[in-house]
Amino acid sequence: MPDKPYADPKAPKLTAPIVEHKKHAEEVLADEKHKTKPEDLPDFDEANP
Amino acid sequence: MTYRPTFRKQGDGSRCQWTNCGPASYAMAADRHRRGVDPRTSHGWKPTPPEIRNYVTPHSCGATNLNQLDVATTHMYLVNMDVRYGIPWSSFQSLIISGRGAVVQILYRVIAPTRLDGSPGFTGNHAIYVNERRASDGAYLVYDPLADGRRPGIPKGPQWWPASLLKAAAYAMPGTASGTVNASFTRDTD
Repeated sequence: MPDKPYADPKAPKLTAPIVEHKKHAEEVLADEKHKTKPEDLPDFDEANP
Repeated sequence: MTYRPTFRKQGDGSRCQWTNCGPASYAMAADRHRRGVDPRTSHGWKPTPPEIRNYVTPHSCGATNLNQLDVATTHMYLVNMDVRYGIPWSSFQSLIISGRGAVVQILYRVIAPTRLDGSPGFTGNHAIYVNERRASDGAYLVYDPLADGRRPGIPKGPQWWPASLLKAAAYAMPGTASGTVNASFTRDTD
């Protein structure tokens, strides 16, 4: 757990109009920095029956 | 009202069932992405974990990841989701509120001590499908493929998870940038 979780200052408040969330969502998805898989990210594990 | 997909459990008796959290989560996400509408491809509809598994690793039960599952569902169901890494929690919330579902990477160790544990003793890397956020208390409707009610004490079907729990489990996924979430998002269906 990080001590200080990173918050996006551009994210609208939870109570903001839906149109603001839709606009922000498009911006986040278009951001190239979120498209690269971290090199040390593991795959999923086997669960217990 | 937000479309709710058919719940898919990974423990369905099929090949690789206990490593099928990814295929099961993507099966539910593909259903949401298409709002249940059959794409009329050569694959069965609705999506199932074994069908997706058979496409990803037809001859083994190797671990899966978001990228290879996205390739599979794009080919099988014409569902091209947005795989994204290092998304701040505040933006993740905004993406869900905006009308998207998401397959989220979590570390199950965070879930294990809670009433939402679907696999006693399992503490590893896991995939879940998140369908929506409830405004009244900020909880998230989570489709955990392990929550099949197969024994007393194991939850069955979609469950409302506190936001704090979902966030903690996503943050704890190994290899994840501090304070962020890795997830694959459906299109905006609302």
